[in-house]
Amino acid sequence: MNKKHFVFSLLLVLTILLTACASGTETTDDAQPVEEDVTLRVLVHQNPPMVAFMEEFNQAFEEKYPNVTVDMSVVNANDLSTVTQTRLTANDVDVVDMFAFTNAAQPYMKNVDPPNWQTLIEAGYLMDLTGQPFLDNYYESAIADAGTYNGKVYQINLGTVSYSGLYYNKDLFAQYGVEVPTTYDQLVSACETFTAEGIPCMTAGGKDGWPIFVGAYGLIGSIYPDQEALVEGLWTGSIKWNDEKSMEMWDKMKVYAQDMMEEGASGIAGDAAPGRFASGAVAMFAGGTWYAAAIESAEPAFEWGYIPFPGSDDPEDNKYLFGKYDQGWVIAENSPNKETGLLYLTEFSEQENYAAFVNAVGFFPTQPGVTLDTQIGREVAPYLENFRVGYEQYYVAPKGAGQYANPWASYFAPFGTFDDAEELANKVQEDLQSGLDANQ
Amino acid sequence: MNVDMKIRRPIKWGKILSYAVLIIFAIVYAGPLIMLVNTSLKSLPDFMKSATSLVTSPNFDNFIDAWQKANFPRYLTNTVLYTVTATLVYVVTAIFLAFPVSRGYIKGAKIILFLFIVALFLPPALIPQFQLMLRLGLYNNPIGYILLFTINPIGFTILVNYIKTIPIELDEAAALDGCSYFKFVTMILFPLIRPAVATVAVLHAIGIWNELILPTIYLTSQKYYPITRGMIVFQGVYGSNWPTLAAAVLIMTFPMLLIFLLMQRYIISGLTTGAVKG
Amino acid sequence: MRGYHFGGGKSRWAPYLFLLPGLLLYVMIALGPSISTTFFSFTNATGIRGAPVDWVGLDNYKEFLFMGQASRDNLSALGRTLLFCFFVTTIQFSLGLLVAVLVNQKLKGTNFFRTLYFMPVILGAVIQGLIWSLFLYPLGGPMDSILNFFGMSSEFFGGPPTEAFGWVIVVQIWANLGTTMIIFLAGLQTIPSELYEAAEIDGANKWKVFKNVTWPLLTPSVNTNLLLNIIGSLQAWQLFLVLIGYRNGTQVLGYLIYAVGFGQTSGSVTSSFRQGYAAAASIVLFILVLILGTTTQFFLSRRERRILG
Repeated sequence: MNKKHFVFSLLLVLTILLTACASGTETTDDAQPVEEDVTLRVLVHQNPPMVAFMEEFNQAFEEKYPNVTVDMSVVNANDLSTVTQTRLTANDVDVVDMFAFTNAAQPYMKNVDPPNWQTLIEAGYLMDLTGQPFLDNYYESAIADAGTYNGKVYQINLGTVSYSGLYYNKDLFAQYGVEVPTTYDQLVSACETFTAEGIPCMTAGGKDGWPIFVGAYGLIGSIYPDQEALVEGLWTGSIKWNDEKSMEMWDKMKVYAQDMMEEGASGIAGDAAPGRFASGAVAMFAGGTWYAAAIESAEPAFEWGYIPFPGSDDPEDNKYLFGKYDQGWVIAENSPNKETGLLYLTEFSEQENYAAFVNAVGFFPTQPGVTLDTQIGREVAPYLENFRVGYEQYYVAPKGAGQYANPWASYFAPFGTFDDAEELANKVQEDLQSGLDANQ
Repeated sequence: MNVDMKIRRPIKWGKILSYAVLIIFAIVYAGPLIMLVNTSLKSLPDFMKSATSLVTSPNFDNFIDAWQKANFPRYLTNTVLYTVTATLVYVVTAIFLAFPVSRGYIKGAKIILFLFIVALFLPPALIPQFQLMLRLGLYNNPIGYILLFTINPIGFTILVNYIKTIPIELDEAAALDGCSYFKFVTMILFPLIRPAVATVAVLHAIGIWNELILPTIYLTSQKYYPITRGMIVFQGVYGSNWPTLAAAVLIMTFPMLLIFLLMQRYIISGLTTGAVKG
Repeated sequence: MRGYHFGGGKSRWAPYLFLLPGLLLYVMIALGPSISTTFFSFTNATGIRGAPVDWVGLDNYKEFLFMGQASRDNLSALGRTLLFCFFVTTIQFSLGLLVAVLVNQKLKGTNFFRTLYFMPVILGAVIQGLIWSLFLYPLGGPMDSILNFFGMSSEFFGGPPTEAFGWVIVVQIWANLGTTMIIFLAGLQTIPSELYEAAEIDGANKWKVFKNVTWPLLTPSVNTNLLLNIIGSLQAWQLFLVLIGYRNGTQVLGYLIYAVGFGQTSGSVTSSFRQGYAAAASIVLFILVLILGTTTQFFLSRRERRILG
């Protein structure tokens, strides 16, 4: 062990050979009193309605606390974790927008790496928020499920979203006399009607790949309603991706990817899809609730509705929405501006501010007493009690598992390469099995 | 009708064929650009209806829109600053390194040359580099970012090879006249190797100008973004709005094309004179 | 070591003194970090400072090369990298040569063509990518309309992986042809025109002139271009990032390294940063580049000695 440490320190010495003298410039941890001028460095990810809300919120915050300047930077969602990690390690940020704590390693998982948030907490980069008064504004379950690790709270989560629904064009449904589908068969025949009329049935942002599989979540959900159990079953071998039950899912996914999706969907970027739907050219749009704001801003007069994806033939199975806890706030442990950071979160958690926030971004609230008073809020309200956290939030791939070890509809052509459901099912199971076997 | 016309010259098939090929390539190169201009003048609904149709009533709102939404002058200033500074530092340090290595004036010249040739193949060391910048306190700092661009092994080897073509007798003669080492390199050698220096500088500058990954990792403040980073962030926000995006791309492209066209003769001749000897 | 002319004593140290900044920068920015990459590849580093880092020996290499389906996926990414390198190098090299020969003629407008072909190099990967995303817009974009006219269709960057991959090759060549052309042009201009005249007097046709005069004398540019193209295309992945993103069946090694080292977001989940594992993958790429680069270099210099003596 000593030798290893020696070699390792040798490498560090090598890298920083020329710079060792400069390492004394680290920032001190002293918390400054709020009365002094403070620049609060806030990092958020790109989501236009949220950014617009935050700009207003920051302005109000600066007016209330004139000694504080908020320096908010915005990064693309894809870069958020990279930038978060680099800025936290560089001690260059105070308050960060971080996605909910998910994908924790479970006892039945062998040899998996901890998720980023866990590493960050263990390395001491996130501030322990346990006992802060503003936590009481939120549902206990939300704090526990999305922001707690080892009994300590590190994040307040700001809302849930659902990704398993279908937007539908009310005008087109009325014009062609199509009923809003509640079973899989009805969905298929609705699509046939539209296609026969020359109207593409569905769209989604196929260029990014994931919007296709996220759109089909309801399909997975109608077959495996308890997705945490699904993940455990996959790891322990009691569920296979090519068993009879799963085959039903793949067969339907094939129809979804190849018959229901419009031609050319594979070229539409994720953020372009709501505009495409709002233009009125397609009958339905498979996507998460977060797209509602974009649809409304693209075409305010456009009439639409939202239903859970009817993946099962039994309408009772189609009343579930699958989703996730979305973003939350954390404070950097090494920040010199912790006090201001706490003040910022306290202000944000005020019911009035929080309600304005969820209504701006379209999250389902994690604060009791706050309602989402938008169209999507009303559309989803009947299903909210059946809200369930999805597979992706539980699954951790075993090391060595292949790149196809997921139930994604986007593996089907034209988004992927597969045409045959059985061939794909076998490949997915094989890729997963290969990882499970490698860790025996 | 002049006299020439009456003399029947053989049709120059070679010439026609040459032009045909050149024009086909020109279409492949100009086509996407024309499409860009066309899109930038459309309104979003027009674009949604038909992406290809030629614009009938030009709509310049997209440019105003793009200009207001992004901080282009800042990005452009940053990019120019990074490119010029880093190229300058690089060229000066590289000449002073290449000259004695090329002449064998120092011990270990061959080792240094070997190390730089190896560097051509080295894996991009993103991870340790990042740790280094953190410890130097140069993370999210223009100076640190510029430091990353102060080496370029290809340019170094071009310089070394070019200096070999300068006769060593020149050194002797200058030294006899009492010229010092520093003076010789700056006053006598430098003008002689200018073509190679131009090549190296241009190659290096293009690399910095176009870098996308490093600003993503090292520059987190919007005020430090170079064009590339600013552009990709802009795309993240307005990615679905192609007309605005196209206008933004044109706004970004315009100064670059202008600089390029103004310096074109210099850039291309610089590249052609120096490149081969590497 | 040849004689040093600029005095002895203290002034003998002048070259050492002046080269120091360049050398220090090189060691600090390139050599040091590159060597450290090797050490990182034997650890489970996450890139988070302060997180525990353990020595894991060859585990990263074993996992990358031999563990389960993932390793086979890695190997296909490696194969894809080679394929990308092969197509880009051969096509870009031949087209670059063709274009250079054409614009080197005494024809009107060659300056315009040169400038036009070189232009993408100035624009950089982001703008190249945006321009082509628009040109290849799948819902009635220009290329879509052209293909439809000929009764064909393509899903472009969103389609089947091989198709998307092919389009990236097209854009990569489009973007970098200018550099290849310029380097050839440089070589062409060093060939004395007397040689061509002599050959023409001997009655050689154009092809023979090219084969016997141009091609051998172009050897230095051929070498430069081949090496630059091979090494460049093995390490290139910026266009993949801009045009496709990280998608199954299209990854090349360079992108894979970035993705495992700095995490990737797919759907709602971001993968963890596995910088030790990424470092091991970098070393694999390094070895690949080294083998291909030095082999090419070996054959090229042998050929150069044979031709140019």
